[in-house]
Amino acid sequence: MSFGIVLKELDERASERGGVYVATMTLVVFVEDAAIGDLARDRIHTLAAKHPSRVILFDATQSEGTHHVEGDDWIELGAKGSNAELLRGAANALRLPEAPVILLWIAPGIGDDERFCELSRDARTVVYNSSLVDAGNAALRQLVEYVERHPELALADIAYLRLAPWQESVAILFDGEESQELLDVTRVEIGCGSDPEGLYLLGWLASRLNWKPGSAEMLTGPDGKAIAFAIRREGEPRRIARVALSSTHSNFVAEADPHGETINLSVTGGRAKPPRLRAINNPGVAALVERAILSSQNDRVFQASLAAAGAIAAFGAPSP
Amino acid sequence: MLDAVATNPLRAGLPNEGISTPCSAVFFGASGDLFKRMLLPALYSMHLRGTLPDAFALVGFSRTAFDDDGFRDYCRKQLELFMPQDKKPQGPLWEDFAKRISYVTADFTNKQHFLALKGRLAQNDAEFGTAGNHLFYLATPPPVFPVIINHLKEAGLDKDPNGWTRIVVEKPFGTDLESARKLQQTIEAVFPENEIYRIDHYLGKEPVQDIIALRFANTIFEPIWNRNYVQNIQITSAESLGVEERGGYYDSAGALRDMIQNHVINLLALVAMEAPISSHADDIRNEKYKVLSAIRPPSHGDVWSLSARGQYGAGTIDGAAVIGYRQEHDVAPDSNTETFAAVKLMVESWRWAGVPFYLRSGKRLPRKVSEIAVTFKPIPHRFYGEATDKIEPNVLVIKIEPDEGISMRFEAKVPGPKDHIRSVYMDFSYGTGFGVVSPPAYERLIGDAIQGDQTLFTRWDAVERAWEIVTPVLEVWQNTKDFTFPNYAAGSQGPQSAQQLFPDWRRL
Repeated sequence: MSFGIVLKELDERASERGGVYVATMTLVVFVEDAAIGDLARDRIHTLAAKHPSRVILFDATQSEGTHHVEGDDWIELGAKGSNAELLRGAANALRLPEAPVILLWIAPGIGDDERFCELSRDARTVVYNSSLVDAGNAALRQLVEYVERHPELALADIAYLRLAPWQESVAILFDGEESQELLDVTRVEIGCGSDPEGLYLLGWLASRLNWKPGSAEMLTGPDGKAIAFAIRREGEPRRIARVALSSTHSNFVAEADPHGETINLSVTGGRAKPPRLRAINNPGVAALVERAILSSQNDRVFQASLAAAGAIAAFGAPSP
Repeated sequence: MLDAVATNPLRAGLPNEGISTPCSAVFFGASGDLFKRMLLPALYSMHLRGTLPDAFALVGFSRTAFDDDGFRDYCRKQLELFMPQDKKPQGPLWEDFAKRISYVTADFTNKQHFLALKGRLAQNDAEFGTAGNHLFYLATPPPVFPVIINHLKEAGLDKDPNGWTRIVVEKPFGTDLESARKLQQTIEAVFPENEIYRIDHYLGKEPVQDIIALRFANTIFEPIWNRNYVQNIQITSAESLGVEERGGYYDSAGALRDMIQNHVINLLALVAMEAPISSHADDIRNEKYKVLSAIRPPSHGDVWSLSARGQYGAGTIDGAAVIGYRQEHDVAPDSNTETFAAVKLMVESWRWAGVPFYLRSGKRLPRKVSEIAVTFKPIPHRFYGEATDKIEPNVLVIKIEPDEGISMRFEAKVPGPKDHIRSVYMDFSYGTGFGVVSPPAYERLIGDAIQGDQTLFTRWDAVERAWEIVTPVLEVWQNTKDFTFPNYAAGSQGPQSAQQLFPDWRRL
């Protein structure tokens, strides 16, 4: 790779453009799948339009040595067969000196990938998506193992960030006196289109309520009481369809409408309440990445949810 | 209920994007212009974004006769008119919003109607879980404020044993110092200061909030933000519009009351205040008050040398002929009301001694612009540049409307063999810097009121001080007929007297 040529092209563009240059970050992107790559480019364009950035996109489907510069600050480099040190060197040579580096890793698996390890070293935040490739939980388990080995990594997972409207909706069900019912939950059912989202949601509940995994179908509360759970495939991939928590007296349900636009909240039984409705406002990937960039680099709730999700998955959940 | 929300373990650490505080919001004057154009769209937009509390209900309280369904239909029609295409009221989200809307047809002087409101609020508490939390929003003409406040007290709506009560008061807060004090006495006899939210929607605008970020989240500006480096500060709020449909109100108000006393003086306070010890509402408001208390109101004898007033005559705006102020609907043909006001104020503090603050506001000026321009002192010694080059002082401009951003003027060498100097402009726009349209001010302010954050609302001491500052000018102007009116043409830079007050106004 000839970084000099790339930098010269950028300089020429800058002098043609004139005026003032505004940038908020360097986005380093790694893609390894041509099909996902085009979609990713589209999303990153959206993001870069909102937060002016230098984008350095490593495309592992293109031959090493090829490059392409477009717009004000968009650099694509072929990275097929490139080793980890080379990629890191390229990123460091081309990044904006003062702006923070955000790594978007749009490729399956990170566990043994040296390229990920090297690129993540200079990143202020690493954005990953554990439900990118398939609906199973392998990517999430890899992530848990990697984070255990690298606790210093400032990480955000798109699959977790996607849950925000569901976390808010489930929390709403237990505002007020209903919060006491959380001590009495006996069963949790989650319907979702892919495992990571379901595991994260259950992991989030478990970490907030101090539930520990006991088996592939059961958690144990702080008082030793059993909480049965089930994560079922239901609805679109990467979407939650339904969350239901049952206590001795009541059932608390948050359920997406068939169009996935609203969440219907209902409480039946002893704590019955009139049904309520909330907009899901499913954010696009660009908005989720933006949220990852703007959110705290040390989100303890995410870290605890990830650890709990990993522990639950280690017992083999969700059951096939 | 607040504690119950706070003790919900599922809420710990969740991104706080929505508002969890339950609330019934009552809008007095719900059939009026402010409600339909600004408040209702802000509420519906919050509903669509999921930022309204889950336990929320809206009650309209106004003279126009509606039943609940009729008012819901009215709201839907207004939203059709005033919401963007992709946010029109429809489907289950509209139905969910609509079911929370109710209405009380009311005569503001009739206690029975306030008792009916009380019943409605109790019903909302039971039906929607609004937990006795009541936000009363006065979106009526100001003369009605005292009547409403007294009836709220009489009906026992000033407090609720189960929740909080807050009152939002739209500007103008009084029409002069005396009436403002009278209004304050009426309100504080019923509501304590921490329940009073005096709204100035300017303060909800992003660039206004960014003044604090610019000053206190950067180190490069604060060391030069004082009399040693600053030559003067100009604060401008100009409009190309005339009085439109507000001739009746405006003719009894004028530019000084309508803009300078509230919006513009608030901007001055933000730009001149010392660093607060925290972002807590009262820490910021303490500093704002300290700055205002350091401004000596002009003596009556000094008013003419420290102020300028004007009234627009017929002229041209954007190539179209427009009528003069005295020809506007509901304006007296011999009106003495100013449509342009400019004042020079001095902040008598260690930081600002000797630095003039020039404030101006007017209608039918060439373009709509709100900005704060900080002009720095000239260089102390010139040794560079061609003799014919003029070296301009640096200017930092905080742009509020219509562009939102910050620009900086500085001097640079023109490329070439000669040492020519030229002014260049570095321009940061929120639109391109963050590629995002700032959220409407009312959404932010309504949300803050529901959550009990008073930071962006004006405290009484600051309102009173602002009236004290402008009162001598008001009194002299009121008591002196200006026979030169109209003294500026619509579309011009304002009256000549403004140039005499300060010849270096930034061009509009």
